[in-house]
Amino acid sequence: MRLRKLTLRHFRNVVFAGLEFSGRQQFLAGANGQGKTNLLEAAGFLTALRSFRTAESKLLVGHGQSAAAVSFELEHERLGEAHVLIKLRRDGRELWCDSARVTRLADHLGKFPTVVFSSQDMLLVRGSPAGRRRWLDLTLAAMDAGYLAVLQTFSRALAERNALLKRGGADERQLAAFEQTLAPAAAELIARRAAGLLALSATLKSAYGQISGETEKAGLTYEPNFAEPSSDALLARLEVGRARDAQFRTTLIGPHRDDFQFAVRGTAAKDFASEGQQRSLVLALRIAQAAWFQAKSGVRPVLLADDVLGELDPERRRRFWGTIDAEAQVIATGTSPPDGALGPWQVFEVADGMFTEKPVGP
Amino acid sequence: MTPAFDKLQKHLKQLPGLGYRSSERIALHLLVEKPARLPALVEALEEAARSVRRCARCGSLAEGELCGICADERRDHAVVCVVEQVPDLVAIERSTAYRGMYHVLHGKLSPMHGVGPDDLNLASLFERMAASGVEEIILALSNDVEGEATCHYLTERLAAMGHTVKISRIGFGLPSGGGVLYADSVTLKSALDGRRAYS
Ligand SMILES: [Zn+2]
Repeated sequence: MRLRKLTLRHFRNVVFAGLEFSGRQQFLAGANGQGKTNLLEAAGFLTALRSFRTAESKLLVGHGQSAAAVSFELEHERLGEAHVLIKLRRDGRELWCDSARVTRLADHLGKFPTVVFSSQDMLLVRGSPAGRRRWLDLTLAAMDAGYLAVLQTFSRALAERNALLKRGGADERQLAAFEQTLAPAAAELIARRAAGLLALSATLKSAYGQISGETEKAGLTYEPNFAEPSSDALLARLEVGRARDAQFRTTLIGPHRDDFQFAVRGTAAKDFASEGQQRSLVLALRIAQAAWFQAKSGVRPVLLADDVLGELDPERRRRFWGTIDAEAQVIATGTSPPDGALGPWQVFEVADGMFTEKPVGP
Repeated sequence: MTPAFDKLQKHLKQLPGLGYRSSERIALHLLVEKPARLPALVEALEEAARSVRRCARCGSLAEGELCGICADERRDHAVVCVVEQVPDLVAIERSTAYRGMYHVLHGKLSPMHGVGPDDLNLASLFERMAASGVEEIILALSNDVEGEATCHYLTERLAAMGHTVKISRIGFGLPSGGGVLYADSVTLKSALDGRRAYS
Protein backbone atom coordinates (compact mmCIF):
# COMPACT_ATOMS: atom_id res chain seq x y z
CA MET A 1 0.00 0.00 0.00
CA ARG A 2 1.21 3.48 -0.80
CA LEU A 3 -0.26 6.70 0.55
CA ARG A 4 -0.43 9.12 -2.37
CA LYS A 5 -2.37 12.02 -0.93
CA LEU A 6 -3.17 12.93 2.66
CA THR A 7 -5.52 15.78 3.57
CA LEU A 8 -6.17 17.02 7.10
CA ARG A 9 -8.81 19.51 8.24
CA HIS A 10 -8.97 20.81 11.80
CA PHE A 11 -6.92 17.88 13.04
CA ARG A 12 -5.24 19.02 16.30
CA ASN A 13 -3.19 22.12 15.40
CA VAL A 14 -3.40 21.52 11.64
CA VAL A 15 -6.12 23.77 10.22
CA PHE A 16 -5.60 22.49 6.71
CA ALA A 17 -2.91 20.44 5.04
CA GLY A 18 -2.90 18.69 1.69
CA LEU A 19 0.22 16.65 1.01
CA GLU A 20 0.89 14.85 -2.24
CA PHE A 21 3.46 12.14 -1.91
CA SER A 22 5.69 10.88 -4.68
CA GLY A 23 8.33 8.20 -4.34
CA ARG A 24 8.84 5.86 -1.42
CA GLN A 25 10.36 8.09 1.27
CA GLN A 26 8.88 11.25 2.75
CA PHE A 27 10.47 13.33 5.47
CA LEU A 28 8.72 15.95 7.61
CA ALA A 29 11.31 18.33 9.04
CA GLY A 30 10.70 20.94 11.70
CA ALA A 31 11.11 21.92 15.32
CA ASN A 32 9.11 20.10 18.00
CA GLY A 33 5.48 21.10 18.54
CA GLN A 34 4.93 22.28 14.95
CA GLY A 35 2.62 19.46 13.85
CA LYS A 36 4.88 16.72 12.42
CA THR A 37 3.64 14.06 14.84
CA ASN A 38 0.04 15.20 14.34
CA LEU A 39 0.36 14.34 10.67
CA LEU A 40 1.75 10.87 11.40
CA GLU A 41 -0.98 10.36 13.99
CA ALA A 42 -3.60 11.18 11.34
CA ALA A 43 -1.96 8.78 8.86
CA GLY A 44 -1.81 5.99 11.47
CA PHE A 45 -5.49 6.51 12.33
CA LEU A 46 -6.36 4.83 9.01
CA THR A 47 -5.57 1.30 10.20
CA ALA A 48 -7.96 0.77 13.10
CA LEU A 49 -9.42 4.24 13.75
CA ARG A 50 -7.18 4.51 16.78
CA SER A 51 -4.54 7.07 17.61
CA PHE A 52 -1.14 5.81 18.70
CA ARG A 53 -1.01 8.68 21.21
CA THR A 54 -4.41 8.80 22.87
CA ALA A 55 -7.49 6.66 23.46
CA GLU A 56 -9.65 9.79 23.41
CA SER A 57 -10.55 10.66 19.85
CA LYS A 58 -12.15 13.95 20.88
CA LEU A 59 -8.67 15.33 21.59
CA LEU A 60 -7.97 15.07 17.86
CA VAL A 61 -10.54 17.71 16.88
CA GLY A 62 -8.97 21.15 16.51
CA HIS A 63 -9.52 23.73 19.22
CA GLY A 64 -12.91 25.45 18.90
CA GLN A 65 -13.97 23.20 15.97
CA SER A 66 -16.90 20.80 15.88
CA ALA A 67 -15.30 18.24 13.56
CA ALA A 68 -12.03 17.11 12.03
CA ALA A 69 -11.53 15.24 8.75
CA VAL A 70 -8.73 13.14 7.34
CA SER A 71 -8.80 11.93 3.77
CA PHE A 72 -6.51 9.34 2.19
CA GLU A 73 -5.82 8.57 -1.45
CA LEU A 74 -4.08 5.23 -1.73
CA GLU A 75 -2.57 2.79 -4.15
CA HIS A 76 -3.63 -0.55 -2.78
CA GLU A 77 -2.64 -4.12 -3.63
CA ARG A 78 -6.21 -5.42 -3.49
CA LEU A 79 -8.41 -2.36 -4.02
CA GLY A 80 -6.37 -0.52 -6.67
CA GLU A 81 -6.93 3.21 -6.26
CA ALA A 82 -8.73 3.64 -2.96
CA HIS A 83 -10.14 6.65 -1.17
CA VAL A 84 -10.84 6.67 2.55
CA LEU A 85 -12.44 9.54 4.45
CA ILE A 86 -12.63 9.74 8.23
CA LYS A 87 -14.72 12.43 9.92
CA LEU A 88 -14.24 12.92 13.62
CA ARG A 89 -16.64 14.71 15.88
CA ARG A 90 -16.29 15.11 19.61
CA ASP A 91 -19.04 12.52 20.12
CA GLY A 92 -18.33 10.08 17.31
CA ARG A 93 -16.91 9.39 13.90
CA GLU A 94 -17.84 8.54 10.36
CA LEU A 95 -15.92 6.33 7.98
CA TRP A 96 -16.25 6.34 4.20
CA CYS A 97 -14.42 4.01 1.83
CA ASP A 98 -14.68 4.78 -1.90
CA SER A 99 -17.83 6.88 -1.26
CA ALA A 100 -19.60 4.12 0.68
CA ARG A 101 -20.32 4.56 4.37
CA VAL A 102 -18.69 1.88 6.55
CA THR A 103 -20.65 1.41 9.77
CA ARG A 104 -18.92 -1.61 11.27
CA LEU A 105 -15.28 -1.33 12.33
CA ALA A 106 -14.98 -5.08 11.65
CA ASP A 107 -15.54 -4.41 7.93
CA HIS A 108 -12.66 -1.94 7.89
CA LEU A 109 -10.04 -3.87 9.83
CA GLY A 110 -7.35 -5.77 7.97
CA LYS A 111 -7.29 -3.57 4.87
CA PHE A 112 -5.04 -0.59 5.54
CA PRO A 113 -1.99 -1.49 7.63
CA THR A 114 0.29 1.22 8.98
CA VAL A 115 2.93 0.83 11.68
CA VAL A 116 4.15 3.69 13.84
CA PHE A 117 7.74 3.71 15.12
CA SER A 118 7.65 6.17 17.99
CA SER A 119 10.26 7.57 20.35
CA GLN A 120 7.77 6.64 23.09
CA ASP A 121 8.15 2.95 22.21
CA MET A 122 10.82 2.47 24.90
CA LEU A 123 7.90 2.48 27.34
CA LEU A 124 6.83 -0.83 25.87
CA VAL A 125 9.97 -2.40 27.36
CA ARG A 126 10.18 -0.39 30.57
CA GLY A 127 6.59 0.62 31.28
CA SER A 128 3.51 -0.99 32.79
CA PRO A 129 1.83 -4.25 31.70
CA ALA A 130 -1.25 -2.22 30.70
CA GLY A 131 0.74 -0.47 27.96
CA ARG A 132 2.03 -3.76 26.59
CA ARG A 133 -1.48 -5.31 26.67
CA ARG A 134 -2.89 -2.33 24.81
CA TRP A 135 -0.18 -2.65 22.14
CA LEU A 136 -0.74 -6.40 21.82
CA ASP A 137 -4.53 -6.08 21.57
CA LEU A 138 -4.25 -3.31 18.97
CA THR A 139 -1.72 -5.30 16.95
CA LEU A 140 -3.76 -8.51 16.96
CA ALA A 141 -7.14 -6.82 16.44
CA ALA A 142 -6.03 -4.38 13.72
CA MET A 143 -5.85 -7.12 11.08
CA ASP A 144 -8.31 -9.58 12.57
CA ALA A 145 -11.97 -8.77 13.29
CA GLY A 146 -12.25 -12.20 14.94
CA TYR A 147 -9.76 -11.18 17.62
CA LEU A 148 -11.64 -7.92 18.17
CA ALA A 149 -14.93 -9.79 18.61
CA VAL A 150 -13.43 -12.16 21.20
CA LEU A 151 -11.78 -9.26 23.02
CA GLN A 152 -15.06 -7.33 23.12
CA THR A 153 -17.04 -10.32 24.40
CA PHE A 154 -14.42 -10.98 27.06
CA SER A 155 -14.25 -7.33 28.17
CA ARG A 156 -18.02 -7.03 28.32
CA ALA A 157 -18.49 -10.24 30.34
CA LEU A 158 -15.67 -9.17 32.67
CA ALA A 159 -17.24 -5.73 33.20
CA GLU A 160 -20.60 -7.33 34.00
CA ARG A 161 -19.04 -9.80 36.46
CA ASN A 162 -17.04 -7.00 38.09
CA ALA A 163 -20.17 -4.87 38.40
CA LEU A 164 -21.77 -7.75 40.33
CA LEU A 165 -18.73 -8.06 42.59
CA LYS A 166 -18.52 -4.31 43.15
CA ARG A 167 -22.09 -4.16 44.40
CA GLY A 168 -21.32 -6.85 46.98
CA GLY A 169 -23.54 -9.70 48.12
CA ALA A 170 -23.89 -10.94 44.53
CA ASP A 171 -25.57 -14.27 44.27
CA GLU A 172 -23.65 -17.25 42.94
CA ARG A 173 -26.16 -17.96 40.18
CA GLN A 174 -25.68 -14.55 38.59
CA LEU A 175 -21.89 -14.83 38.83
CA ALA A 176 -22.07 -18.28 37.26
CA ALA A 177 -24.28 -16.97 34.45
CA PHE A 178 -21.67 -14.40 33.38
CA GLU A 179 -18.76 -16.81 33.91
CA GLN A 180 -20.35 -19.05 31.28
CA THR A 181 -19.56 -16.45 28.58
CA LEU A 182 -16.47 -15.05 30.26
CA ALA A 183 -14.54 -18.33 30.38
CA PRO A 184 -14.73 -19.44 26.73
CA ALA A 185 -13.88 -15.92 25.52
CA ALA A 186 -10.94 -15.75 27.94
CA ALA A 187 -9.65 -19.14 26.81
CA GLU A 188 -9.78 -18.11 23.17
CA LEU A 189 -8.07 -14.80 23.95
CA ILE A 190 -5.24 -16.63 25.74
CA ALA A 191 -4.78 -19.04 22.82
CA ARG A 192 -4.79 -16.23 20.23
CA ARG A 193 -2.35 -14.11 22.23
CA ALA A 194 0.00 -17.07 22.66
CA ALA A 195 -0.04 -17.79 18.92
CA GLY A 196 0.33 -14.11 18.02
CA LEU A 197 3.28 -13.56 20.36
CA LEU A 198 4.99 -16.68 19.08
CA ALA A 199 4.84 -15.39 15.49
CA LEU A 200 5.87 -11.86 16.53
CA SER A 201 8.75 -13.22 18.60
CA ALA A 202 10.20 -15.13 15.64
CA THR A 203 10.36 -12.01 13.44
CA LEU A 204 11.60 -9.87 16.32
CA LYS A 205 14.44 -12.29 16.91
CA SER A 206 15.86 -12.02 13.39
CA ALA A 207 15.24 -8.24 13.16
CA TYR A 208 16.98 -7.70 16.50
CA GLY A 209 20.02 -9.62 15.32
CA GLN A 210 20.27 -7.44 12.22
CA ILE A 211 19.73 -4.09 13.96
CA SER A 212 21.97 -4.69 16.94
CA GLY A 213 24.67 -6.55 15.08
CA GLU A 214 24.77 -8.84 18.08
CA THR A 215 24.64 -12.58 18.10
CA GLU A 216 22.65 -12.58 21.34
CA LYS A 217 19.20 -13.98 20.99
CA ALA A 218 16.17 -11.82 21.69
CA GLY A 219 12.54 -12.79 22.02
CA LEU A 220 9.12 -12.16 23.48
CA THR A 221 7.75 -14.31 26.28
CA TYR A 222 4.05 -14.46 26.95
CA GLU A 223 3.24 -14.23 30.68
CA PRO A 224 -0.41 -15.21 30.91
CA ASN A 225 -2.12 -14.63 34.22
CA PHE A 226 -3.94 -17.94 33.78
CA ALA A 227 -1.84 -20.16 31.59
CA GLU A 228 -4.27 -22.84 30.48
CA PRO A 229 -6.27 -21.88 27.39
CA SER A 230 -9.13 -24.12 28.49
CA SER A 231 -12.63 -22.86 29.08
CA ASP A 232 -13.42 -25.61 31.59
CA ALA A 233 -10.23 -25.06 33.59
CA LEU A 234 -10.90 -21.32 33.77
CA LEU A 235 -14.55 -21.87 34.65
CA ALA A 236 -13.49 -24.05 37.58
CA ARG A 237 -10.87 -21.50 38.65
CA LEU A 238 -13.41 -18.64 38.55
CA GLU A 239 -15.82 -20.67 40.66
CA VAL A 240 -13.15 -21.45 43.26
CA GLY A 241 -12.10 -17.79 43.28
CA ARG A 242 -15.55 -16.29 43.84
CA ALA A 243 -15.12 -15.70 47.57
CA ARG A 244 -11.75 -14.00 47.13
CA ASP A 245 -13.02 -11.98 44.15
CA ALA A 246 -15.99 -10.88 46.27
CA GLN A 247 -13.60 -9.76 48.99
CA PHE A 248 -11.55 -7.67 46.52
CA ARG A 249 -14.70 -6.72 44.59
CA THR A 250 -13.09 -7.52 41.27
CA THR A 251 -12.08 -10.49 39.11
CA LEU A 252 -8.52 -11.37 40.08
CA ILE A 253 -7.78 -14.08 37.52
CA GLY A 254 -7.85 -13.83 33.74
CA PRO A 255 -6.27 -12.44 30.58
CA HIS A 256 -7.03 -8.85 31.64
CA ARG A 257 -3.94 -9.33 33.84
CA ASP A 258 -1.71 -10.79 31.10
CA ASP A 259 1.72 -9.43 30.30
CA PHE A 260 4.63 -10.23 28.01
CA GLN A 261 8.34 -9.61 28.41
CA PHE A 262 11.20 -8.73 26.14
CA ALA A 263 14.14 -11.01 26.71
CA VAL A 264 17.74 -10.75 25.59
CA ARG A 265 19.80 -13.88 26.01
CA GLY A 266 17.05 -15.32 28.18
CA THR A 267 16.95 -12.51 30.76
CA ALA A 268 14.34 -9.79 31.16
CA ALA A 269 15.33 -6.79 29.01
CA LYS A 270 13.47 -4.41 31.34
CA ASP A 271 16.07 -4.95 34.08
CA PHE A 272 19.23 -6.06 32.35
CA ALA A 273 19.42 -4.73 28.79
CA SER A 274 21.37 -1.58 27.97
CA GLU A 275 19.70 1.54 26.56
CA GLY A 276 21.00 0.64 23.10
CA GLN A 277 19.70 -2.92 23.35
CA GLN A 278 16.29 -1.69 24.47
CA ARG A 279 16.19 0.72 21.54
CA SER A 280 17.00 -2.10 19.12
CA LEU A 281 14.33 -4.26 20.75
CA VAL A 282 11.50 -1.80 20.16
CA LEU A 283 12.58 -1.20 16.57
CA ALA A 284 12.59 -4.97 16.07
CA LEU A 285 9.14 -5.15 17.71
CA ARG A 286 7.71 -2.67 15.20
CA ILE A 287 9.31 -4.56 12.32
CA ALA A 288 7.70 -7.73 13.67
CA GLN A 289 4.36 -5.87 13.84
CA ALA A 290 4.73 -4.79 10.20
CA ALA A 291 5.52 -8.38 9.14
CA TRP A 292 2.47 -9.64 11.09
CA PHE A 293 0.21 -7.04 9.44
CA GLN A 294 1.48 -7.99 6.00
CA ALA A 295 1.11 -11.72 6.64
CA LYS A 296 -2.46 -11.26 7.92
CA SER A 297 -3.69 -8.75 5.33
CA GLY A 298 -1.62 -9.44 2.24
CA VAL A 299 -1.05 -5.68 2.10
CA ARG A 300 2.35 -4.03 2.57
CA PRO A 301 2.16 -1.62 5.53
CA VAL A 302 3.13 2.04 5.35
CA LEU A 303 5.82 2.72 7.97
CA LEU A 304 5.52 5.90 10.02
CA ALA A 305 8.73 6.78 11.85
CA ASP A 306 8.15 9.47 14.45
CA ASP A 307 11.43 11.03 15.46
CA VAL A 308 13.24 7.70 15.72
CA LEU A 309 15.89 7.95 12.99
CA GLY A 310 17.60 10.91 14.65
CA GLU A 311 17.93 9.00 17.90
CA LEU A 312 20.06 6.28 16.35
CA ASP A 313 23.79 6.49 15.75
CA PRO A 314 24.64 6.28 12.02
CA GLU A 315 25.75 2.66 12.26
CA ARG A 316 22.59 1.42 13.98
CA ARG A 317 20.48 3.62 11.68
CA ARG A 318 22.05 2.01 8.61
CA ARG A 319 21.49 -1.48 10.02
CA PHE A 320 17.87 -0.65 10.96
CA TRP A 321 17.29 0.62 7.44
CA GLY A 322 18.62 -2.65 6.10
CA THR A 323 15.97 -4.63 8.01
CA ILE A 324 12.88 -2.80 6.79
CA ASP A 325 11.03 -3.88 3.70
CA ALA A 326 12.77 -2.20 0.75
CA GLU A 327 9.43 -1.75 -1.03
CA ALA A 328 7.55 -0.20 1.88
CA GLN A 329 6.67 3.49 1.94
CA VAL A 330 8.29 5.32 4.86
CA ILE A 331 7.04 8.64 6.20
CA ALA A 332 9.51 9.92 8.79
CA THR A 333 9.82 12.99 10.97
CA GLY A 334 12.80 14.71 12.54
CA THR A 335 14.18 18.00 13.74
CA SER A 336 17.22 17.92 11.45
CA PRO A 337 17.35 17.14 7.71
CA PRO A 338 17.10 13.47 6.72
CA ASP A 339 20.04 11.16 6.25
CA GLY A 340 20.76 11.18 2.51
CA ALA A 341 22.61 7.90 2.86
CA LEU A 342 19.23 6.19 3.33
CA GLY A 343 18.06 7.11 -0.16
CA PRO A 344 16.20 9.96 -1.86
CA TRP A 345 13.63 11.79 0.30
CA GLN A 346 10.72 14.02 -0.56
CA VAL A 347 11.03 16.68 2.13
CA PHE A 348 8.29 18.82 3.71
CA GLU A 349 9.10 21.63 6.09
CA VAL A 350 6.71 21.94 8.99
CA ALA A 351 6.02 25.16 10.90
CA ASP A 352 2.96 26.06 12.97
CA GLY A 353 0.72 23.38 11.46
CA MET A 354 1.72 24.28 7.87
CA PHE A 355 3.46 21.85 5.52
CA THR A 356 5.56 23.15 2.63
CA GLU A 357 7.25 20.87 0.15
CA LYS A 358 10.91 21.71 -0.15
CA PRO A 359 12.05 21.86 -3.77
CA VAL A 360 14.73 19.37 -4.69
CA GLY A 361 17.97 21.33 -4.38
CA PRO A 362 20.85 21.33 -6.83
CA MET B 1 -42.03 30.14 23.23
CA THR B 2 -44.93 30.07 25.71
CA PRO B 3 -44.97 28.36 29.12
CA ALA B 4 -47.51 25.68 28.09
CA PHE B 5 -45.71 25.05 24.79
CA ASP B 6 -42.38 24.69 26.59
CA LYS B 7 -43.94 22.30 29.07
CA LEU B 8 -45.32 20.10 26.28
CA GLN B 9 -41.99 20.13 24.46
CA LYS B 10 -40.16 19.19 27.65
CA HIS B 11 -42.37 16.13 28.10
CA LEU B 12 -42.04 15.12 24.45
CA LYS B 13 -38.26 15.39 24.66
CA GLN B 14 -38.21 12.79 27.43
CA LEU B 15 -39.67 10.21 25.05
CA PRO B 16 -37.23 7.67 23.59
CA GLY B 17 -35.65 8.71 20.32
CA LEU B 18 -36.75 12.34 20.50
CA GLY B 19 -34.27 15.18 20.80
CA TYR B 20 -34.79 18.92 21.14
CA ARG B 21 -35.45 19.55 17.43
CA SER B 22 -37.85 16.67 16.88
CA SER B 23 -39.84 17.43 20.04
CA GLU B 24 -40.14 21.05 18.92
CA ARG B 25 -41.35 19.91 15.49
CA ILE B 26 -43.98 17.59 16.99
CA ALA B 27 -45.25 20.26 19.40
CA LEU B 28 -45.55 22.79 16.55
CA HIS B 29 -47.26 20.24 14.35
CA LEU B 30 -49.84 19.41 17.02
CA LEU B 31 -50.57 22.92 18.19
CA VAL B 32 -50.12 25.08 15.08
CA GLU B 33 -50.02 23.09 11.85
CA LYS B 34 -52.68 20.39 12.44
CA PRO B 35 -54.56 21.34 15.60
CA ALA B 36 -57.61 19.44 14.34
CA ARG B 37 -55.82 16.16 15.01
CA LEU B 38 -55.19 16.97 18.64
CA PRO B 39 -58.48 15.89 20.28
CA ALA B 40 -58.30 12.41 18.69
CA LEU B 41 -54.70 12.01 19.88
CA VAL B 42 -55.57 13.11 23.42
CA GLU B 43 -58.46 10.67 23.46
CA ALA B 44 -56.28 7.83 22.16
CA LEU B 45 -53.69 8.54 24.85
CA GLU B 46 -56.31 8.58 27.58
CA GLU B 47 -57.97 5.40 26.34
CA ALA B 48 -54.64 3.57 26.03
CA ALA B 49 -53.55 4.73 29.49
CA ARG B 50 -56.84 3.46 30.90
CA SER B 51 -57.01 0.09 29.18
CA VAL B 52 -53.55 -1.14 28.11
CA ARG B 53 -51.60 -3.10 30.72
CA ARG B 54 -49.28 -6.06 31.03
CA CYS B 55 -50.80 -9.46 30.40
CA ALA B 56 -51.01 -11.19 33.78
CA ARG B 57 -49.55 -14.38 32.33
CA CYS B 58 -46.92 -13.46 29.74
CA GLY B 59 -46.15 -9.79 30.34
CA SER B 60 -47.04 -8.68 26.80
CA LEU B 61 -49.55 -5.92 26.12
CA ALA B 62 -53.15 -6.69 27.00
CA GLU B 63 -56.44 -4.91 27.46
CA GLY B 64 -58.02 -7.50 29.69
CA GLU B 65 -56.55 -9.90 32.19
CA LEU B 66 -54.89 -11.84 29.34
CA CYS B 67 -53.45 -10.79 25.97
CA GLY B 68 -54.90 -12.09 22.69
CA ILE B 69 -52.23 -14.79 22.40
CA CYS B 70 -52.64 -16.14 25.95
CA ALA B 71 -56.41 -16.15 25.51
CA ASP B 72 -56.24 -18.02 22.18
CA GLU B 73 -57.17 -21.67 22.84
CA ARG B 74 -56.11 -22.75 19.36
CA ARG B 75 -52.45 -21.96 20.03
CA ASP B 76 -50.01 -24.47 21.53
CA HIS B 77 -49.93 -23.76 25.25
CA ALA B 78 -47.25 -26.37 25.90
CA VAL B 79 -44.50 -24.26 24.26
CA VAL B 80 -43.31 -20.92 25.67
CA CYS B 81 -40.96 -18.63 23.77
CA VAL B 82 -39.07 -16.28 26.10
CA VAL B 83 -38.21 -12.86 24.61
CA GLU B 84 -36.64 -9.68 25.97
CA GLN B 85 -39.12 -7.09 24.74
CA VAL B 86 -42.59 -6.79 23.20
CA PRO B 87 -41.19 -5.81 19.75
CA ASP B 88 -39.30 -9.14 19.68
CA LEU B 89 -42.63 -10.93 20.13
CA VAL B 90 -44.14 -8.84 17.33
CA ALA B 91 -41.24 -9.76 15.02
CA ILE B 92 -41.70 -13.50 15.66
CA GLU B 93 -45.47 -13.22 15.19
CA ARG B 94 -44.91 -11.46 11.87
CA SER B 95 -42.81 -14.39 10.66
CA THR B 96 -45.92 -16.65 11.15
CA ALA B 97 -43.48 -19.47 11.96
CA TYR B 98 -44.60 -19.92 15.53
CA ARG B 99 -47.90 -21.00 17.10
CA GLY B 100 -46.95 -21.33 20.75
CA MET B 101 -47.04 -18.96 23.73
CA TYR B 102 -44.67 -16.19 24.78
CA HIS B 103 -43.11 -14.78 27.89
CA VAL B 104 -41.74 -11.23 27.88
CA LEU B 105 -38.90 -10.56 30.37
CA HIS B 106 -38.83 -6.79 29.77
CA GLY B 107 -35.03 -6.77 29.73
CA LYS B 108 -32.00 -8.96 30.31
CA LEU B 109 -29.52 -9.31 33.17
CA SER B 110 -26.98 -6.49 33.21
CA PRO B 111 -25.31 -5.63 36.53
CA MET B 112 -23.52 -2.75 34.77
CA HIS B 113 -26.87 -1.15 34.11
CA GLY B 114 -28.30 -2.14 37.47
CA VAL B 115 -30.60 -4.83 36.05
CA GLY B 116 -30.88 -7.90 38.27
CA PRO B 117 -33.25 -10.89 38.32
CA ASP B 118 -35.82 -8.95 40.39
CA ASP B 119 -36.08 -6.33 37.64
CA LEU B 120 -37.11 -8.96 35.08
CA ASN B 121 -40.52 -10.53 34.61
CA LEU B 122 -39.27 -13.87 35.97
CA ALA B 123 -41.59 -14.56 38.92
CA SER B 124 -44.62 -14.99 36.67
CA LEU B 125 -42.63 -17.33 34.40
CA PHE B 126 -41.79 -19.56 37.37
CA GLU B 127 -45.48 -19.47 38.38
CA ARG B 128 -46.44 -20.60 34.88
CA MET B 129 -43.96 -23.45 35.14
CA ALA B 130 -45.26 -24.50 38.55
CA ALA B 131 -48.81 -24.57 37.19
CA SER B 132 -47.49 -27.21 34.73
CA GLY B 133 -48.64 -27.91 31.20
CA VAL B 134 -45.50 -26.28 29.75
CA GLU B 135 -43.34 -28.88 28.01
CA GLU B 136 -40.86 -26.75 26.10
CA ILE B 137 -39.19 -23.40 26.56
CA ILE B 138 -37.54 -21.60 23.65
CA LEU B 139 -35.06 -18.94 24.68
CA ALA B 140 -35.14 -16.22 22.01
CA LEU B 141 -32.82 -13.73 23.68
CA SER B 142 -30.12 -11.70 21.96
CA ASN B 143 -26.77 -13.26 21.16
CA ASP B 144 -24.72 -10.84 23.25
CA VAL B 145 -23.08 -11.34 26.65
CA GLU B 146 -26.17 -10.26 28.60
CA GLY B 147 -28.56 -12.37 26.50
CA GLU B 148 -26.36 -15.44 26.99
CA ALA B 149 -26.02 -14.81 30.73
CA THR B 150 -29.80 -14.48 31.07
CA CYS B 151 -30.27 -17.82 29.29
CA HIS B 152 -27.78 -19.50 31.64
CA TYR B 153 -29.40 -17.94 34.68
CA LEU B 154 -32.91 -18.96 33.65
CA THR B 155 -31.82 -22.51 32.86
CA GLU B 156 -30.07 -22.84 36.23
CA ARG B 157 -33.08 -21.50 38.14
CA LEU B 158 -35.44 -23.92 36.38
CA ALA B 159 -33.11 -26.85 37.07
CA ALA B 160 -32.83 -25.84 40.73
CA MET B 161 -36.62 -25.85 40.97
CA GLY B 162 -36.66 -29.39 39.66
CA HIS B 163 -38.26 -28.64 36.29
CA THR B 164 -37.31 -31.11 33.61
CA VAL B 165 -38.83 -29.12 30.78
CA LYS B 166 -37.15 -29.23 27.35
CA ILE B 167 -35.16 -26.02 26.81
CA SER B 168 -33.90 -24.82 23.45
CA ARG B 169 -32.17 -21.68 22.26
CA ILE B 170 -32.54 -19.69 19.07
CA GLY B 171 -30.35 -16.86 18.04
CA PHE B 172 -27.46 -18.85 16.61
CA GLY B 173 -28.37 -18.01 13.04
CA LEU B 174 -29.04 -14.39 13.87
CA PRO B 175 -26.55 -11.58 13.32
CA SER B 176 -24.12 -11.58 16.23
CA GLY B 177 -25.07 -9.15 18.95
CA GLY B 178 -28.50 -8.56 17.46
CA GLY B 179 -31.78 -9.64 18.99
CA VAL B 180 -34.71 -11.18 17.19
CA LEU B 181 -35.96 -7.68 16.39
CA TYR B 182 -33.32 -7.24 13.70
CA ALA B 183 -33.81 -10.58 12.01
CA ASP B 184 -36.07 -10.89 8.99
CA SER B 185 -38.94 -13.38 8.83
CA VAL B 186 -37.05 -15.99 6.80
CA THR B 187 -34.10 -15.91 9.20
CA LEU B 188 -36.44 -16.19 12.17
CA LYS B 189 -38.30 -19.11 10.64
CA SER B 190 -35.11 -21.07 9.99
CA ALA B 191 -33.81 -20.16 13.44
CA LEU B 192 -37.01 -21.52 15.02
CA ASP B 193 -36.92 -24.70 12.90
CA GLY B 194 -33.25 -25.25 13.70
CA ARG B 195 -33.42 -24.51 17.41
CA ARG B 196 -31.00 -26.51 19.50
CA ALA B 197 -31.23 -28.09 22.89
CA TYR B 198 -29.73 -25.85 25.52
CA SER B 199 -27.99 -26.96 28.68
ZN1 LIG C 1 -50.21 -12.98 27.48
